[in-house]
Amino acid sequence: MNSRHPQAFLAADAAGDESSVVRNYTLTAGRTRPRYTLSLDSVLETGPGRPGPALPEECVRIVSLCQQRRRSVTELAGTLGRPVSVVRILISDLLDAHALRVPATTTAPSADPTRQLLEALSAGLKARWPDAVSYAQAG
Amino acid sequence: MPFPTPRQADPAPFSRGREADTDKPAILKIVIAGGFGVGKTTLVRAVSEIEPLTTEEYLTQASAPTDKLHGVEAKDTTTVAFDFGRFSLDMPLPLELFLFGTPGQDRFVDLWYDLSHGAIGAVVLADTRRLEASFTAVSFFERIGLPFIVAVNQFDGAHRYPEADIRDALDLPAVIPVLFCDARVTTSVAGVLLTLIDQALSQASTRPAHTTLQDA
Ligand SMILES: Nc1nc2c(ncn2[C@@H]2O[C@H](COP(=O)(O)OP(=O)(O)OP(=O)(O)O)[C@@H](O)[C@H]2O)c(=O)[nH]1
Ligand SMILES: [Mg+2]
Repeated sequence: MNSRHPQAFLAADAAGDESSVVRNYTLTAGRTRPRYTLSLDSVLETGPGRPGPALPEECVRIVSLCQQRRRSVTELAGTLGRPVSVVRILISDLLDAHALRVPATTTAPSADPTRQLLEALSAGLKARWPDAVSYAQAG
Repeated sequence: MPFPTPRQADPAPFSRGREADTDKPAILKIVIAGGFGVGKTTLVRAVSEIEPLTTEEYLTQASAPTDKLHGVEAKDTTTVAFDFGRFSLDMPLPLELFLFGTPGQDRFVDLWYDLSHGAIGAVVLADTRRLEASFTAVSFFERIGLPFIVAVNQFDGAHRYPEADIRDALDLPAVIPVLFCDARVTTSVAGVLLTLIDQALSQASTRPAHTTLQDA
């Protein structure tokens, strides 16, 4: 997996803005790979630990975002305005510190959602937006 | 000199044995694809509970084969951005739907795989003024076997082609629904999502399990 992850994502051309490249490098202490496999839609919730004092302020921010509600890797990266590759490394550090954890039950999107889930989604959408019609019914 | 192969990342540790987790909402995911400027971000915004986020990722791609002599494939690192939005439903089951909007440029196929992984299906948005811009998305989802539909975003002043012409232009099989929508209008977008779910349901009953992106 993740074979496309760059060896040196901090190449100067990675982002136009040099200061953000430097910041991303500092944030990850030069690491380019996360310790844990985290997909774009893995969700995180807070755990019993705290981010260590050595961790950057972005880590504190991630924990406080996850305190409000569980959030996906993509949402955390987008909110922080940092690339997913960088945020995956920060999340890995927070998992090691038990400041974050991945919820135990099947909360990640599953490749084979059951009919029951699809039907529930359909019913839920209709309840939320009663005027919405499926093309199959409309036409 | 080749880089040493880095150690494979470990699976993220799961927290175990906490009963409370069982009533957390299940998460489902839908991908919004289509060419540059067809209205993907607008569509996500129409139903998302948060302002759509623009999330960045680095991608390396082989660039022009400049350094073959040294046996090193030249790589370019670029930043690519994609959309994220979400909403929650609590009836009849607690559910959370993630919406991922693909980057408009179709050269970032690696990322499309990641975005599509585990999705229930994809909406290919199309603009009749530039139908060809959504052709790559159609072929991509056909190839990976992910249920998809085509939603034609009716821009003001755009010519209203009959559905048959759109099917022709995109070379769409009869089983793929084509519908018209306004990406700015919430109920219109909700109708698009309902159509996709019906499509996923109809394919779920015909395709064998585990034919999608399980191990891509
Ligand atoms: N009239 C009209 N304008 C629309 C509609 N949908 C989107 N737009 C406008 O079209 C422009 C492009 O829409 P976006 O949602 O940014 O398109 P996109 O597919 O996300 O574009 P990229 O991310 O650049 O590929 C914006 O100015 C929108 O306000 C529509 O249904 N009708
Ligand atoms: Mg966009």
